[in-house]
Amino acid sequence: MAFEPLLTRNINRPESRRIETYLAAGGYQGLRRVLKEFTPEAMVDEVKKSGLRGRGGAGFPAGVKWGFLPKNLDKPRYLCVNADESEPGTFKDRLLIEKDPHMVLEGIIISSYAIQCHTAFFYIRGEFHQGARIFQQAIDEAHAKGYLGRNILGSGFDLDVIVYRGAGAYICGEETALLESLEGKRGLPRLKPPFPAIVGLYGCPTIINNVETLANVTLIGERGAAWFAGIGREKNTGPKLYCLSGHVKRPGVYEEALGFPLMELINERAGGMLRPDRPLKAVVPGGSSMRILPASKCDVLMDFDSLMAAGSMLGSAGVIVMDSSTCIVGALLNLAGFYAHESCGQCTPCREGTGWFVKILTRLEAGQGLPGDPDLLASVAGRVEGNTICPFGEAIAWPVQSYVKEFRAEFEEHAARKGCPSRAAAAS
Amino acid sequence: MPDIQPQTQPQLPEAAPDEVALLIDDRPVVVKKGTTVLQAAEKAGLLIPHYCYHPGLSIAGNCRMCLIEIEKMPKLQIGCATLASQGMVVRTASDRVKNMREGIMEFLLINHPLDCPICDQAGECRLQQYAHDYGAGESRFTEDKVHSPKRVDIGRHVMFDAERCIKCTRCVRFTDEVSKSHELGLFERGDHAIIGTFPDRPLDNPYSGNTVDICPVGALTWKPFRFRTRVWFLKDVASVCAGCARGCNVNLSVFDNRIRRMTPRFNDQVNDWWMCDPGRQSFEPLYDKPRLESAMVRPEGGSATAAPAAVRDALDAAAARLRGLGSGKSAEALAAIVSARLTLEDLHLAATVLRDTIGIRRIAVPVHEEGEDDGLLIRCDKTPNARGAALLGIGAPDAGRVREIAAGIAAGKVRGLVVIGEDPVGDGLLDAATLRKLDALVVIDWWNSPTVAAAHVALPCSGYGEAEGVYVSFQGRAQLSRAAVRPRRELTPAWKLLEGLGHCFGLAAEFRSPAAVFDDLAARVPAFAGLSYRILGDSGALLKES
Amino acid sequence: MSAPVSPATDRAIDALMTLFPHKGSALLPALYLIQDEKGYVSQESMSYVAEKIGLSPVFVAGVVTFYTMFHRRPVGRHHIQVCRTLSCALRGSAAVVEHLKTRLGIEVGGTTPDGRFSLVEVECLGACDMAPMCQINDEERHFLDAGKIDAILETLE
Repeated sequence: MAFEPLLTRNINRPESRRIETYLAAGGYQGLRRVLKEFTPEAMVDEVKKSGLRGRGGAGFPAGVKWGFLPKNLDKPRYLCVNADESEPGTFKDRLLIEKDPHMVLEGIIISSYAIQCHTAFFYIRGEFHQGARIFQQAIDEAHAKGYLGRNILGSGFDLDVIVYRGAGAYICGEETALLESLEGKRGLPRLKPPFPAIVGLYGCPTIINNVETLANVTLIGERGAAWFAGIGREKNTGPKLYCLSGHVKRPGVYEEALGFPLMELINERAGGMLRPDRPLKAVVPGGSSMRILPASKCDVLMDFDSLMAAGSMLGSAGVIVMDSSTCIVGALLNLAGFYAHESCGQCTPCREGTGWFVKILTRLEAGQGLPGDPDLLASVAGRVEGNTICPFGEAIAWPVQSYVKEFRAEFEEHAARKGCPSRAAAAS
Repeated sequence: MPDIQPQTQPQLPEAAPDEVALLIDDRPVVVKKGTTVLQAAEKAGLLIPHYCYHPGLSIAGNCRMCLIEIEKMPKLQIGCATLASQGMVVRTASDRVKNMREGIMEFLLINHPLDCPICDQAGECRLQQYAHDYGAGESRFTEDKVHSPKRVDIGRHVMFDAERCIKCTRCVRFTDEVSKSHELGLFERGDHAIIGTFPDRPLDNPYSGNTVDICPVGALTWKPFRFRTRVWFLKDVASVCAGCARGCNVNLSVFDNRIRRMTPRFNDQVNDWWMCDPGRQSFEPLYDKPRLESAMVRPEGGSATAAPAAVRDALDAAAARLRGLGSGKSAEALAAIVSARLTLEDLHLAATVLRDTIGIRRIAVPVHEEGEDDGLLIRCDKTPNARGAALLGIGAPDAGRVREIAAGIAAGKVRGLVVIGEDPVGDGLLDAATLRKLDALVVIDWWNSPTVAAAHVALPCSGYGEAEGVYVSFQGRAQLSRAAVRPRRELTPAWKLLEGLGHCFGLAAEFRSPAAVFDDLAARVPAFAGLSYRILGDSGALLKES
Repeated sequence: MSAPVSPATDRAIDALMTLFPHKGSALLPALYLIQDEKGYVSQESMSYVAEKIGLSPVFVAGVVTFYTMFHRRPVGRHHIQVCRTLSCALRGSAAVVEHLKTRLGIEVGGTTPDGRFSLVEVECLGACDMAPMCQINDEERHFLDAGKIDAILETLE
């Protein structure tokens, strides 16, 4: 019953990042097949049929996004690979970039072909120094062997891929902020509409896709939409990389079919709780921006729709596991600090609200809470949610609202200045 | 999810192919395609509150104050950036919107300093206004505020207070899109984001004052006005700037019979929302320069000093001196230097009296040009009425004709000179030695210029902002400049003094008001046919031959 | 104005400006080149690169101050960036920071007087499965504890 690795099939091969290794393992066959058997439009359809949903966090169907591109080719199209991976708890894209860059690159080439783009940008977060070097190496190797450049594999299709390094801003993982950064500016999200598929990079139609999403396109190119759709369940198809971190014995990336049970991920794949005397308290299932699940709600399948039904989201599949030693107020304060540092500052609710959360939570943690604090947190979060330029508003509002809702007693204890009940060795 | 109950909605009116019809708070409104909901609401008579939106700048959408409810859209949408569409149903005053506005106000105020008692913006501050209209009235914020630099000397005329700033970026967009001088930018991010300039590149462009106008709060203030007057004491008078040939529409803000500041008034045919910094300060000479307080007469003979006299007596003295040098057909010995800074009314009487009644043939208008037309608002011609002077037959500014008169005086051919609103001595067009050759130097001006000091007869008139009059801009637009302050001792406009001089030479006409003078010139000069003060109104009229 | 960077960097920035469809994109990589050479981005460098690319200096300054990875002042020879975000915090990042503060004798944000080390806290570096961790210049160090930290410090000159 063990899942046959697909996305992670190469990562343990010696010298897995080299093109020779990749080719020997059957790499670039997907590209060959696509170039031979599919027109660009047909490939877009194929990805639609596969049901592939974005793996960056939003879960938007990739083929549908591609379909938003205008029909005319007046302006050049661009593909921007979102390798900005900065969502706390997430480390799957860097695994692919560093260990199997050609799998990602093949997906980029297939996707570029499908959307008729001839220049793709690989936007990688600045802190991934090694990843940027490795991926540039892969690009150079691909050029040398004719998988990039002019007339790829004799198909008449041209493509260049340019690596562009970010410089330390989580917000640049938001697709329009990524475009701003790529254009050499401050990474401020744009107003939508217009959407990038219509007005994107340099004002041209642009598709932004996550690294893992594009790696899945390689699989679809190899074996087709029908096969892909057979993994997982309807509307939640394909393999998934889950990132396990926090209080588990074996943190790491684990690949399963979409819809794997959360508790099995924790207990089987990740080896269970770090310490037997500290049972599970809560899980953030999809990266820090997603609503927290208390232990009682963790009997859930890890796919888009199941988690949505459970009141959270799959997001970036960054599963952060917290045991009984965790002070939830302290955890929220930690995340509030993250969001306050990373807020771009453009719009009022986020710019002012993120700082306010830090101040309230700092007081609570320091034993200077006020009785109205839990309600205040929820109320302020309610005024941030839905009112911002980009989903960063929800990214801070959801944690605040859900932590307060699910662990109300803990907040009230702090507010009543009874100190921190879970203070015991929280930093062990 | 909002519980929007479909009510019996008013019917949508007909819309042409290039229009859309929508409902805003049950008010039907029809607008051109491409209009935003905020603009459509304005048309329907509804003000959707906003900070960062400005019709003269690109859309930023960052303040979030204009969020409104649109049926069939689950999230609130910003009105400034959402295009009105056919059949759209908009609600700007629902409970959800009210709660959101209260929220935005709350966010804006948590780090805002309680500076109202010392802030120039008080009384015309959007934060104050919206806090009053939409705020909770009570703060829930008990933390330490984010503190930022105050009293930042950000530019020659502008002071910046970073704590008051709400990061709407109107000022940044202005220096990028309008003045194109690119001095301002945003630094850092999050709640430490701060507006600033690059070191050694202060906000120093000729339009910097506009950033103060558009700043919705007291973050950017105009140094000359700083701590000068509380704005609720000011009374605004719609007028026109006389600093150059553009004729920007302005408001003269008056308190206690003194102009305290000048700010632009919107006119999409002239200056949109803007004016230049020199224009803003163009009223200050009224108080900086020494005033000509009364008529001055130098008795006959020798170089006796001039003594104050009644206007009536001074006019008689002037007429006597001029008459003695010939008039009518033998007015060869007379000349006049007349200013393009004068109003049409002044110039009309100058033409009527000096040219038609006294018979002076040599009339010259000095040139006042500085720099270049800057392609935005500033004109190199620093006179507001050169076009008007030309249309009235006085002549356009012409340095050559002034030199001719100067040569004529030097050669002894010109023995009498009437100067109105000009200072040729101070401007270096005539020197004192040349002037001493004159038998009659009659000067009408509002300030005690070097030319006034050299005159045989000097008559005081009102200055800028003290009398009504019309200027014609370089574009051929006739615009009414209004009286905002009363001059001391009932000083009259130049045209009234000229009328008086004309009476000494047999002129019959007498005008009761500047409007009457304008009506007279409109009847006589074809370019102005059909116009009147009422028709000129606040935004002026483009002359037919323009 | 003479460039405050080497001819090689100057030429490399020229090349960047032709690499992208719009030369404005050259700014971030250009700033990296400048920082690689000089260790940080000075006001002079900002003016220089602004003029080169055709941007206003205040725009460049806005970009430099937006991104955490551009230094406006020199940092230590070994710039220690400890991740402070949740997954690392759950696995003891606070103790890592304390240990480094004690060992180096500086506060967070500080640099040792000899310029050898600087210490900052950064947000999630995407290595949560190897927490607690830090990045020293461009190299990651994982599974940190007091002993490991001491051993690492000793290898850094």
